[in-house]
Amino acid sequence: MSNTTEFEIKKPKVDLNYASEKKPVASDPSPEAKPLPKVTIDGKTYEFKPGDTIMQVAERYKVHEEIPRYCYHPGMPIAGTCRMCTVEVEKAPKLMTSCSTPAADGMVVHTRSDKVLKSRTGVMEFLLTNHPLDCPVCDKAGECELQDYNYEYGPGTSNFKEEKRVFEEATTKKLSDQVTLNMNRCVHCERCVRFTDDVTKTNDLVMVNRGWHKELEATTEAGLTNDYQGCLTDFCPVGALTWNDFRFKKRSWFLSKKPSICDRCSKGCNIEVHSDAEVVYRYVPIHNEMVNGHWMCDSGRSSYNDLMNPMRVISPLMNHQNGLHSTTLQALLGELSIQLKNASSVQLVIGTDATREEAALLKDKFPSILGKNVSVSYFNGTAGVTSSADDKKMDNLLKMKDLTPNTKGVEEQGISPLSQGEVSSDIVIVFRNGRAGIPKMKAGQKVILWGVWNHDEIKTLSSQTVLGVIAGLATIEKEGSFKNTDGIVQKFHPAIVHKGGALSAHQVVNMWKSLN
Amino acid sequence: MATINVSKKYTVKEKTYLPAILIGMKITMKRFLQGFLLRKHDTILYPEKKRDYSDRFRGMHFISVDKNKTENCTACYLCETVCPAECIHIVADERDEDQNPYGVKKEKKPVSFDIDSLRCCFCGFCEEACPKDAIKLSTNYELAVSSREEAIYDLDHLKREMNGRSEK
Repeated sequence: MSNTTEFEIKKPKVDLNYASEKKPVASDPSPEAKPLPKVTIDGKTYEFKPGDTIMQVAERYKVHEEIPRYCYHPGMPIAGTCRMCTVEVEKAPKLMTSCSTPAADGMVVHTRSDKVLKSRTGVMEFLLTNHPLDCPVCDKAGECELQDYNYEYGPGTSNFKEEKRVFEEATTKKLSDQVTLNMNRCVHCERCVRFTDDVTKTNDLVMVNRGWHKELEATTEAGLTNDYQGCLTDFCPVGALTWNDFRFKKRSWFLSKKPSICDRCSKGCNIEVHSDAEVVYRYVPIHNEMVNGHWMCDSGRSSYNDLMNPMRVISPLMNHQNGLHSTTLQALLGELSIQLKNASSVQLVIGTDATREEAALLKDKFPSILGKNVSVSYFNGTAGVTSSADDKKMDNLLKMKDLTPNTKGVEEQGISPLSQGEVSSDIVIVFRNGRAGIPKMKAGQKVILWGVWNHDEIKTLSSQTVLGVIAGLATIEKEGSFKNTDGIVQKFHPAIVHKGGALSAHQVVNMWKSLN
Repeated sequence: MATINVSKKYTVKEKTYLPAILIGMKITMKRFLQGFLLRKHDTILYPEKKRDYSDRFRGMHFISVDKNKTENCTACYLCETVCPAECIHIVADERDEDQNPYGVKKEKKPVSFDIDSLRCCFCGFCEEACPKDAIKLSTNYELAVSSREEAIYDLDHLKREMNGRSEK
């Protein structure tokens, strides 16, 4: 199961600010005239585009598993400092770093010769001289590149007899509220430094001192200030940088991993939902060049907390004697049907966090079930955003102004936005999935809530009369598609199974239909 | 249908029962006299006296503590991972820095560490997996409890100062 991306427009103008994209690629005036150059890697010949490095060619054709690397990351500029990715190139006097050596026509490369493996063993031994043996405590254990490569290439023994280096102060140092640094574990790949220099351009981190004393430090007193700090903890190959929200919560090998889409803003970043026993522990971005590249922002990353909020309504609630009480969905829908039939006018407000399928269902099929005229409109609720035209980039990377995922997709269904203060019908049905805002309503307004709500939000509606709450599924619990701000339609499947009493909009509509 | 008669004919000696009773009484008197006169018993006076078990016997679990009475466990979940009976349940958290005398080694702590001894099969895999020598199985075999709740050992129950595998 994977996210499918349907490209509606040919090439969206997404400036992902990839540093690696900026690498000058030797342009060939007539690519068809000349055959593509060829490189031989491990006995097989592959065609490549001029300008590709050996690593990129090997990556594209999936030669072996992968060439081991610490400093190389496809979303960042090349450093060539860790020496883990060295390969043997015939006729070259020494081993070459595959991440920074451009492939050349007729080049013969060996990625697993004895000489290469011996070099990797040496590199591993040097990296492990000072690395503490604290895998039981380290959160990275199980998904650690140092662990993995040590099993594959490590020497197994060490000639290092001296005391290991300990950074007393930086053993558990909070770089910000979200990220903790343990400098003892660092292997000095400097991915984090290059990330803040070239991707977020905030220049938050720097390596101070040299050699044995080389240490990562924040450049300002405030520590890390960028909005993409979670990415540092994703690509840190060891457990030096850890995400506080996930720190010590779960060991990585217990997590089951399913793809989904982040619904925190209109960008629609591709994510992997890491859960155990249907409890979500974290979101991690998946690489998608067209949408989010390798990254995702911190507010999106921690947005699973809203979903796992114990205050979330996960069973149908009915108004009885001025209080909301848990009930069955059939009883609730039966009661609401009577109320809606007697109402003089009914209005349906769809939040822009509904999927395209839900919006179509609610607009086309839902009014016919009630058997009366329902005015349908959508509501975004983000400050300063009423329609997709108001959406704009908030920084040079991913963050968007619109904090709902599907404004374009709802507009596509021919639904018009709700103008402020238009909620004037006898009964209003508000359908939202926890991301769109709640429209302003006059005191005493009768309202039916549908979708993802929590009790704190319902408390803000104390001056209105809430007739009932129909609990719905959140984005990662259901199937559907979003159209993001660049016009890319992204489909997603359930990443976790909902364990409460909430049902999808289709199931609720079908049940409602069978009652009438 | 033909049947096979398996009943046997009893002899006069068997029919009278008396010789068999006398043989039985002879054994009883032999044991009685051995115990009464020579003080030679096959049973022991449990619980005042206890049998010697092998040091390798796997009985009740315990978590070893260091000299500061802090548990050696760092909540690495390896025992929970390896446990075939799925009877170990750990919740981890960060240890307070002032309770952190050994720096990085004790950065993490178990907030709760429960062993459901009713599910446990005493295989000793947890002991084998533990990288800190924290969880161990003692030679204590007296596991009787008066309620099911008591059979779930929590951290306070497990944390005991131990001398080797036997209790101090």
